Amino acid sequence: MTKSIRKYAMMLFICMAPIAAFALDSQDLPDIKEGIVTLETKDPEKLVGYTVGDVIEREVTLTIKAPYKLIDTSLPIPGYEKRYRGQLIGIELKSINHEKEESKKQTVHHIKLAYQVFTNNVVAKNAALGPEYLNLINTTDKKELVKYRVPSLTIAISPIAIFGQVKVENNMSPLLGPLLMKDDKEKQSLKISLAAIVLSLLGLLYILGKSAWLPRMGGAFAKAYRAVRKTDNTEAGLKQAISAIHLGFNTTAGMSVFNDNLSAFLHNHPDFYPIRPEIEQFFGLSRQIYFEPSFKPDSKFGIDSNPHQWLAKFTRHCRDCERGLIPEPMKAGA
Amino acid sequence: MSDAQLADWRNLALSLETEVNKVVVGQQTPVRLITTSIFARGHVLLEGDVGVGKTTLLRAFTRGIGGGYQRIEGTIDLMPNDLVYHTYLGEDGKPHVSAGPLLMSGENLSVFFFNEINRARPQVHSLLLRVMAERSLSAFNAEHYFPHMIVFADRNQVEKEETFEIPSAARDRFMMEIPIVVPNDDDIMEALVFDTKFHNVDALVDTVKPDVLQFDELNAFSGILQGSIEASDTLKKYALNLWKATKAPLDYGVKVSGVDMNRLVLSGASPRGMSMMLRAARVNAWLNNRSAVLPDDIHAVFHSTIAHRLVFSPVYEMRRTEIAREMLSGIINAVSAP
Repeated sequence: MTKSIRKYAMMLFICMAPIAAFALDSQDLPDIKEGIVTLETKDPEKLVGYTVGDVIEREVTLTIKAPYKLIDTSLPIPGYEKRYRGQLIGIELKSINHEKEESKKQTVHHIKLAYQVFTNNVVAKNAALGPEYLNLINTTDKKELVKYRVPSLTIAISPIAIFGQVKVENNMSPLLGPLLMKDDKEKQSLKISLAAIVLSLLGLLYILGKSAWLPRMGGAFAKAYRAVRKTDNTEAGLKQAISAIHLGFNTTAGMSVFNDNLSAFLHNHPDFYPIRPEIEQFFGLSRQIYFEPSFKPDSKFGIDSNPHQWLAKFTRHCRDCERGLIPEPMKAGA
Repeated sequence: MSDAQLADWRNLALSLETEVNKVVVGQQTPVRLITTSIFARGHVLLEGDVGVGKTTLLRAFTRGIGGGYQRIEGTIDLMPNDLVYHTYLGEDGKPHVSAGPLLMSGENLSVFFFNEINRARPQVHSLLLRVMAERSLSAFNAEHYFPHMIVFADRNQVEKEETFEIPSAARDRFMMEIPIVVPNDDDIMEALVFDTKFHNVDALVDTVKPDVLQFDELNAFSGILQGSIEASDTLKKYALNLWKATKAPLDYGVKVSGVDMNRLVLSGASPRGMSMMLRAARVNAWLNNRSAVLPDDIHAVFHSTIAHRLVFSPVYEMRRTEIAREMLSGIINAVSAP
C-alpha cells in the first residue's frame, strides 16, 4: 500500500514537472538567442502628462521563429501590480488581448496591453510600463526554456493640480499634446447628416427635374403620350387625345400654341423642326375635330385611316423631340 | 346662297383689296381689316400719326365701294347741326337751308368720312352715336335713314391740343380701331418719298377701280355670310373665355409690365363688342375660304375689335395703346382652345 502511494506520488511529480518549470521565475531563465524573436511595438504618442486613472495602451507584435514557441501562461496577468525594489510603482495591467498567427516557420503574436495609472505625486515623476518577461520553449527540445524581455516604456506621471498658485499659461508644456475627446458620436452624427443631405439633394434633383429620375424625362409630351395611350379609339377618345397634345404644346411653349403662331413656336423650340409637317397635320386634324368638321386634313401621313393610332405615334415623336432626339420619319399608314 | 356665290363675292372683296393695295402700299393688314369691317357692316376708326395715309386709305375704299360719299372735317367749333344742314343767305336776300353732309346723299349714303373726329366737340360725338348705332336721324320733322352707311373716322392720338377724347360709348360704336403705321420696308419708304404717283393724292385715288362692290347689296350679303360661316361649341367656349379674360385678366394669369392689374381694367369688352368681334371673325374666315371660324380668325381681328373698347383706370389712359396691346396679346397667349 505504501509502495503504491509512493509510486503514484512519483508519477504525479514527473507529470507536474514541466508545469512547475513554467511557474519558475522567468527572470531566472536564460535569454533567448538573438535573431529568434523579432519585436515591434506601437507605443502611445503621448509620453508625458499622465495622471491617476489614465489608461495607456501599448501594442506589441512578436514574431517567433520555429521551433520556439511562446508559453501562453507566461503572458502578464491583468490586475497584477508591478513592484520596483519591493515598492508598488502604481502602474497596473488593466487588460490584455492576445492573438496569434501560426505557420510552420514562425508564429506572430499580437499583444495589446492596457495599463492604468494608480499613482500620483505633487511633482512630475517617471514611471515605466513593463518590462514584461515572456517564456519560450523549444519544441524540439522540451527541456530548453528561455525568456524574452519586452522592454519597458518610460512615461511621465504629472500631478493632478499644479502645486501652488501659478499661471497656467506659463506652465504649459510644449511636450504635452492636446487631450483629444472621443468623437465617435460626432462621427456617427456626421455620417447620418451626410446621408440625409445626400437623400435631400436627390429629392431636390427629382423635384427640379420636374419629377423625373433622368434628365428630360417627365416632360409635357411624355405626359401627353401617357394620356393619349389611355384614350379609347372613339370620337370622345380622339378629342381627349388631341386636347392632351394641345396641352403638351402649350406647356412646352409656356403659352397657347395655335396654327397662326406655330412658326414662332418652332423658332423657339427648334428641336421640333424635324416633325414640322406632322405638327401641321396635327393642327389640321384638330381643326377638323374641334372647329370645322367639313375640313379634310392632308392624308399623306395616313391620318385618315386611323387617327387615334396616328396621334399616339405623333405624340411619341413629339416626346422624342422634347428629349432632344430626332424621331424616325413617320411612315405612311401609321 | 350657294358656295359659288360666296366665292364670287370673295373674289370681289379680294379685288377691292388688290385695288386699294395698289394705292396705299405696305398696309396689307389694315386693308384686310377694313375689308373685313365693310363686309361685317361695322364702322372703322383709324388711328395714327399725321401724314401716314389714313385719309388716302379711306378715300380709296370709298371709291371701291361706290354709293354716296360725304366727308366732314372735325374742328373745335363744329356743331351737330353742321352735320345736318347749312343755312345761308341766297341771292334773293332771304335765308335758305340746304342739307348737310349726312342728309345730302339720302339713303344712298354709303360712306361718311369723319376726318379728325377727336377735334369735334362731345355734342357732335353724341349725334354720331345715334347715326352710327341706328343708321337714322331725325331732322326737319322727318326720320332719315342711311341703311348702307359706314362711318370711317380717323384721329391723331399724338396731338392733344384742341382735341376731345372720344368717350367710351362712342368708341364702342366702332367695330374696329385700326392703327396705321409707316411701313418699315426701305423700298416702300423710298417709293413713298420719290415715286411721283404718290405726290398727288387725288390722282392716286382716281386710279382705284370704282364701284368694285355694289354698296346696296352689302347688307343682304353680309347677313347671308354671317349665316353661312359656322362657329363650333369649342370656338364659342374659347370666345367666351377671351371675353372673361378682358374683364378679369389676372384670373387668367395675364400681366402687363409696370401695371397694377388689380386696378387696370374698369370695364372689359362689351357684349356688343364681342358680337362685333365674332362678326368680323366670320368675315375673316370667309375671306380665307373657310366654312367655320377658327381661333386664328379671332386672333386676326381681336386687337382691332377689342382694344378700343377696354376702359382703363384714368391713371393708365395715357398709355392705353401700349397697355391694351400687351394685355390682349397676353390674353391670346393665356387662353387655350381646346
